[in-house]
Amino acid sequence: MSIDVPNTKRARAQAKGPFGSVGKVLDELDDRLGVAKGGRTFMDKIFPDHWSFMLGEIALYSFVILLVTGVFLTLYYIPSQDLVTYHGTYLPLDGMRVTEAYASTVNMSFAVRAGLLMRQMHHWSCDIFVGAIVVHMARVFFTGAFRKPRELNWSIGLTLLTLAIINGFLGYSLPDDLISGTGIRIAYSIVLAIPLVGTYIGFWLFGGNFPGTMIIPRFFILHVLIVPGIMIALVGAHLFLLVRQKHTQFPGKGRTEKNVVGSPMFPVFMAKTTGFLFVIAGITALLGAFAQINPIWQFGPYEASRISYAVQPDLYMAFLDGALRIWPSWSFHSFGHTIPFEVTVPALILPGLIFGLCYMWPTLERLFTKDNELHNLLDRPINRPKRTAAGVSMGVFITVLFFASSTDVIANFFHVSLEEVLIAMRVLVIISPIIAYPITYRICKELQHTPGSGKRKTANVVTRSEDGEYIATSSPVYVDDAHHGLAAVEVPRFISAAPDEESETSGTRVVER
Amino acid sequence: MSDRHEERTPVHLQGLSPNDPHLQPASKNPQQVERVIAVCFVLGLVLVAAFGACFWINAQPWKLGATLGGGMTFLGIGLVAWGKYLMPQGPFVEDRHALANSKDDRDAFAASIVQRGGDVVKRRKLLGGLLGSGLGVFTVVAMFPLLRSLGPLPKKTLDHTDWKKGSYVVDSTGRRVKAGDLAVGSIVTVYPEGTQNSDRGQAVDQTVLIRISNENFTTMKGRENWGPKGYLAYSKLCTHLGCPVGLYEQQLQVLVCPCHQSTFNVLNGAVPEFGPAPRPLPQLALYIDASGNLRAQNDYDQPVGPGFWERS
Amino acid sequence: MTSFFKRVIVYSTLLLLSLGPVALFTGNANASGQKPYQTPYQTTRKNAGTPNSSIVKKDKNGMVITYGNSAILYKAPPSALDAIGEALFMQNCASCHGTKANGVPANGVSGAYPNLVGLGPATIDFWIDSGRMPATNPRAVEAPRRFARLTPSQALAVSAWVNSLDPSLPDIPTPNLTNANVADGAALFALNCAACHTIEGDGDALANSTFAPSLRDIPAYQVVEAIRTGPGNMPRFTGNLSDYQVRDIVKYVTTEIQHPNNPGGLGLGGLGPVAEGFVALLLGVGLLALIGFWVGERE
Repeated sequence: MSIDVPNTKRARAQAKGPFGSVGKVLDELDDRLGVAKGGRTFMDKIFPDHWSFMLGEIALYSFVILLVTGVFLTLYYIPSQDLVTYHGTYLPLDGMRVTEAYASTVNMSFAVRAGLLMRQMHHWSCDIFVGAIVVHMARVFFTGAFRKPRELNWSIGLTLLTLAIINGFLGYSLPDDLISGTGIRIAYSIVLAIPLVGTYIGFWLFGGNFPGTMIIPRFFILHVLIVPGIMIALVGAHLFLLVRQKHTQFPGKGRTEKNVVGSPMFPVFMAKTTGFLFVIAGITALLGAFAQINPIWQFGPYEASRISYAVQPDLYMAFLDGALRIWPSWSFHSFGHTIPFEVTVPALILPGLIFGLCYMWPTLERLFTKDNELHNLLDRPINRPKRTAAGVSMGVFITVLFFASSTDVIANFFHVSLEEVLIAMRVLVIISPIIAYPITYRICKELQHTPGSGKRKTANVVTRSEDGEYIATSSPVYVDDAHHGLAAVEVPRFISAAPDEESETSGTRVVER
Repeated sequence: MSDRHEERTPVHLQGLSPNDPHLQPASKNPQQVERVIAVCFVLGLVLVAAFGACFWINAQPWKLGATLGGGMTFLGIGLVAWGKYLMPQGPFVEDRHALANSKDDRDAFAASIVQRGGDVVKRRKLLGGLLGSGLGVFTVVAMFPLLRSLGPLPKKTLDHTDWKKGSYVVDSTGRRVKAGDLAVGSIVTVYPEGTQNSDRGQAVDQTVLIRISNENFTTMKGRENWGPKGYLAYSKLCTHLGCPVGLYEQQLQVLVCPCHQSTFNVLNGAVPEFGPAPRPLPQLALYIDASGNLRAQNDYDQPVGPGFWERS
Repeated sequence: MTSFFKRVIVYSTLLLLSLGPVALFTGNANASGQKPYQTPYQTTRKNAGTPNSSIVKKDKNGMVITYGNSAILYKAPPSALDAIGEALFMQNCASCHGTKANGVPANGVSGAYPNLVGLGPATIDFWIDSGRMPATNPRAVEAPRRFARLTPSQALAVSAWVNSLDPSLPDIPTPNLTNANVADGAALFALNCAACHTIEGDGDALANSTFAPSLRDIPAYQVVEAIRTGPGNMPRFTGNLSDYQVRDIVKYVTTEIQHPNNPGGLGLGGLGPVAEGFVALLLGVGLLALIGFWVGERE
């Protein structure tokens, strides 16, 4: 320590080192944690540029919004099925005997500042979250990003989707309003339909016969702590694997299996992704501002003998509801026992099969193609026609089930008979996947044989020579279509500044060894 | 400080000249882009501040959402545009090193687990077995507090309702329903007296009472005197998933479940005509006592609601 | 191994899928078949519930002029309108319902059309006033609500004449909503009405091509008429709902159902999760994916 430090600006700056106080903090950190090298690598980490890689970010940031708004909601929500008399600002409920859960949710909507906005944002971002996961999953599937070495991350993603759906249902149930109560009733009946142990599981889950007194508190702790806890851990693992295995990329100029081409983490990607987070939060807030979602005060509190027509679950559960609607009434009833196949098959076996197939897919594909290589370059979907066709088939199947959950609304909207809509759905759910497969397959095959497909065609200029001969010459590519990108270079370790009087040599930096 | 400073060795690192095209912004006209971004940021800033003001004065939700959402969106768009148009355009490349280690490393790892661990266990088989069985027993024992304490056993509770021989039929306010109360074509949700305000009454005992005519009505063989003066009572729990079958169409004489549109024919004992419900709604036998009150002859002759394993 | 497994999987999938069409023909034996007991617009008569009110005013012949209480006042249509009503009936209704309003047209058979005698003035008034009658398609399963062809006073006259053939109840109601309890109305609405009309009052498709209408633009007295007379497939609520309870329901319908203040923004047509799902997928995920396209793609 020098004793007489001249108290000038330059001297103070010099004492801090070339990177000022930030550098000093980083030095101190590195002394204790040794983060300099890893942090440096992380700052240089390359993210490939492609729009479809942003879909996962929509899901990730919706999850962030869910966590933030969810914390706000827990401050005002009371997870209790005790009955209270509502005396709040919403007059049509005044004096009604309602559960504390319901009363607190209504109060949160009307009496808490920004409470309604937060509730609506929470619900909208939940819908966006699950929707974005599915779209992201479709991207991963159709481009073959799930292949070795990324099968584990595929499974983690699927588990996240499952948990998102479950947690969405749990959260949807918490207000204890008429519609969500009906949903819980259906869930209870589905649990009862499990052969052999269903009644036991149902009684233990609900603390007795429906409705019991425990389900709201139990759903609450599952919804706000246990399931999100697991999800946060899995999102962490998902991102860790992404960083560790590095992002996949589409084939292109200078892109190989052994490199990643794109923008560096800091500052380019950081700016774009943070900006995207803001935009997602902004759009969610705008939806929360202008589109009303789940107006539980109109629905009223749940009572087991009340019911509303046109009850649908949220969009992520819709395919299950659709399956329950269109599955015929086949019940097994013999030997003194009942297996309610009309519930067991569509509500338990069918989702089991769908998700099971998704979990198995990377393994199945490896078995069939005998492809055991590592893949970091993505497929164009048209180059894998069978996989693409299978994916489209599954997508169509789920979509029909999704629409089947609103047979009554469709019938009412188009003013056709409810029965006809339902039978049409039964036909569609079988026919459409069967039709979708060969059509997709053919389209892929055709596109494969069309070089330059998807790009703008240039005009052929036909000229007539003096002899009367016609000659067709293709005109040059559009300027916009021509590839004039730069070749990729490594992120510079140091950008040489114009030499000033301070530094001795340009391109020199003092680093700690 | 100075000591440490001396330990630093100047090293030359690879770099790019500031004129390198990779370091140029992607935008052809950075000044203009910068102005647009600045406008975005100003708008974002103003709107976010407005959100604070709206929050302070407790404005309507749409004002809160519009200012917050608009502010965030503008800030976000500005930030994205900054990163996209004004920062070094690249592209940059990073090597992808193989994650797999060398054969030697793998073998050493496997050996340390298989051989070292195997030796330890093999040498003390007794201890290993004991520890294993201890943990196994703990797993089984742990099930008891985890599962068993969650709720009661179902026993036979699903087989019965609170309807008993002679139960008075009351509506949701607890008023006893009398034979002259309902006109033909009317429906009312009823409960056995005393349960109309309880959860169980609501969830299990709920029954729809329909008057379909003025004369005694028989829905099927063996139910000859179940419908006195045209009053029919069916369990309100759908046999599909237990939703309340509250949708009655008086000309079609059907009860429809609003959840999944199972349709039950009221006239022939609520046999399902359409939809996923597998069984008829159980019918409650009624009689009219001397003072004109509707009363139940007995409990339902079968479990109400959706199917379950123990249902015989 | 693969070819064998491939074949097993392909064939078992095909087998499973071919089982599918079986599903189409189960569980709906009578779904589209005409029901023997289904007659359009049929309502039972002479059983529309007794006046459960304290004050009944009768004229010197013993005919009921008004009855009711502070909640709802039921008024019989004035007999002075009989003649006008008869003329209107012959012009607009007799071609189907017959000149005696008994459902037997001049050259038709009994039972083809509803007999109107003894249905009570409120029933006649409701069908005409809500525009359902005269019907556009007399053989349709349902007569949907539309712009009324006869004015309210003409409807009153017709109901006066039909009532004069066989005086019966209920009479035409006038609800007084000043002291109504909207919270009780909400609870009763959820218990009795929401199963068909939905909790937001938008109506929905019911069994066999019938529809529950939306409650959006219905005047208060027509709500009472519908509750008390049970038009079409709607059940009738008589002895099980007091006039005070009906008034509460009407208050809830005419305020919160017809004019929800939607503090959370656009009501999305009251379609619930269906509309919400579309908005979330198209406006939420779709718009964000478009923005993501801008964010992620290099120029």
